[in-house]
Amino acid sequence: MSPVLVLALNSWVENLRNRFFALTLAFAGVVLYLSMLLGLLACDQEVRVLLDFGLGLIELMGLVGAVYCAATVVLREMETKTVYMILTRPVDRTRYLLGRFLGLMLSAGAAMLIMSAAHLMILLLKGWDFRTVYLWALLGVFLKVLVTASLAMFLALLATSALSALSITMILWSLGHFLPEIRLMVRRFGSDSAAVMAPLKAVSWVIPDLQLFNLRDKLDLPAHLSSGVPAGSWLLYAGCYCAVWLAMAAVLFRRKEF
Amino acid sequence: MPPGLEAVLSLTAVTKVYVSSHLGRKTVSRGVSDLDLEVRPGEVFGLLGLNGSGKTTTFKLALGLLKPTSGAVRVLGLPPSEPRALAELGFLPELPYFPGFMTPAEILGFYGGLSGLPEAGLRDRVEAVLKLVGLSASSGRRMGEFSKGMVQRVGLAQAILHDPSLVILDEPVSGLDPLAIKDFRDLLQDLNGRGKTILISSHSISELEKLCHRVGILKEGRLARVLGRDEWSGGLEEKFIETVRPGGAP
Repeated sequence: MSPVLVLALNSWVENLRNRFFALTLAFAGVVLYLSMLLGLLACDQEVRVLLDFGLGLIELMGLVGAVYCAATVVLREMETKTVYMILTRPVDRTRYLLGRFLGLMLSAGAAMLIMSAAHLMILLLKGWDFRTVYLWALLGVFLKVLVTASLAMFLALLATSALSALSITMILWSLGHFLPEIRLMVRRFGSDSAAVMAPLKAVSWVIPDLQLFNLRDKLDLPAHLSSGVPAGSWLLYAGCYCAVWLAMAAVLFRRKEF
Repeated sequence: MPPGLEAVLSLTAVTKVYVSSHLGRKTVSRGVSDLDLEVRPGEVFGLLGLNGSGKTTTFKLALGLLKPTSGAVRVLGLPPSEPRALAELGFLPELPYFPGFMTPAEILGFYGGLSGLPEAGLRDRVEAVLKLVGLSASSGRRMGEFSKGMVQRVGLAQAILHDPSLVILDEPVSGLDPLAIKDFRDLLQDLNGRGKTILISSHSISELEKLCHRVGILKEGRLARVLGRDEWSGGLEEKFIETVRPGGAP
C-alpha cells in the first residue's frame, strides 16, 4: 500500500476515534432534532426550513471538523513527536501532507454521510419528494468543506499556530460566500491606481468562491428549473483550488526543520 | 550496508545555527559548532552532555530533520534525507507518543506500511519484532493500558521493524524504573549482538558505561572528547565531569 493511503487510513481511524468527531455527530443529532421543531413552527414552509437548516448544519459540522483537523493535524504530530517517527522513514513530505489531507477527506465525508442520512430520513418522513438535486447540493457542501480545509492546512503551516490558522480560515470562509459581491465592489469602487487595485484583486483570488457550490436556493424549485448542475466546473475549481493550496503547504513543509 | 564502509554515520565539520525572529527581533543561537563525529559499523556509541549541549541537534541532523548550516552529514555515505539512507535508519524519540486506542500490532502495521514493508510478510514481521521486544502476549492490548516501559518497548519495536542498520535512541531510559531500565539494556545488547549499530543519548552515565563501546562528550555544541571503553574503566562519570565542568577539558 502506498504511504499516502497508509497515512490516510490512519488519519481516518484516528479521527473516527476522536472525541471531537463523536461530539460533532451528537451535536448534529441534537440540531437536526431542533430543525424539526423549527420546521413545525414554520407551518406550511416546514419542509423548506428543514432542507435549509439541515443542509446548513451539515455544512457547518463538516466544516468545523475538517478545518479543525486540517489546522491541527501537523502541529499536533509535531508536538507529540509522531512526525519524527514518520519523516525518518522513506516517506516524502508532500506525500505525508497528501495522506493526511486524504484522511481528513474520508473523515469529513463519513461524518457528512451519516448526518445527511439522518437529515434525509427526517425529510422523507415529512413527506418530501426525493430529488437528485439534494445529492448535488451535498456534493457542493462537501467540496466547500474540502476547499476550506486545504486553505486551513496551508495557513496552519504558515502561521504555526492552530488558533491563528482557524481564525483566518473562518474569516476567509465567510468572505468566500460574498466573493461575487467583493469582486463587483473592487471593479466599481476601485481606484485607477494599480498599486491599490493589484492587492485587492489578489485578495479576491485568494478567497475561495464558495457561493459557486451553493445549490440550496434551487432545492425547492420545480425540477426543470433546478436542472443543469455545473458539477464539472465545481470539481475543476475545487480540484485546482485544493491543489494550489496543498502545493503551497508542501513547499512550506518541505523547507520546515524540526 | 555497503562493504568497506568505515562509518555508518559521519558528521564532518558540521555547524548548525538557529535563527529565530520575534516582533522583528532576531535571535541567533548555535546548536552545534564544527562537529566531527563518526559512528562505526556494529558499535554502540553514546552521546553524553549537559542540557543544551547539542545532543538532540546532532540526532536531528543525523535524521535529516535539520539541515546543517555548514558541513556534511552522511548516513551510509548518503545524505540523510535520501530515501535509501532513511530506509537504513531507525529512530526512537524521547517519550514517544502512540494513540491510546491502538494496539502495538496496529501501530507496527502502520509504521511497517510507511517503511514500505511488503504487505504479505508484514504480519509475520510485526509478530517477530513484538517477540523480540517481549510484547508478544500484549500485542492485542490497547496502548492506553501500557506502562512507560512497555510504551518504550513499542517505540523500540517501531524503530527496528524495518531492520535498519543504524538505530538512533534519544534518552530511551528516561522515566523508566530500574527493572525496566535493565530489561531495556538487555534488549539493546541483544540488538547490538544481531549486528545493529546503535547511537544513543542518555543522562544516565552508568547506563552508557555498561552499554557503549565508545562515548562522545558534547560541551557547548562541540565534541569535547571521545572515549573508548578501555579509557574510562569504571570511571566515566569522573571523565564526564572533568570535561563538562567550566574550565574543564576543551
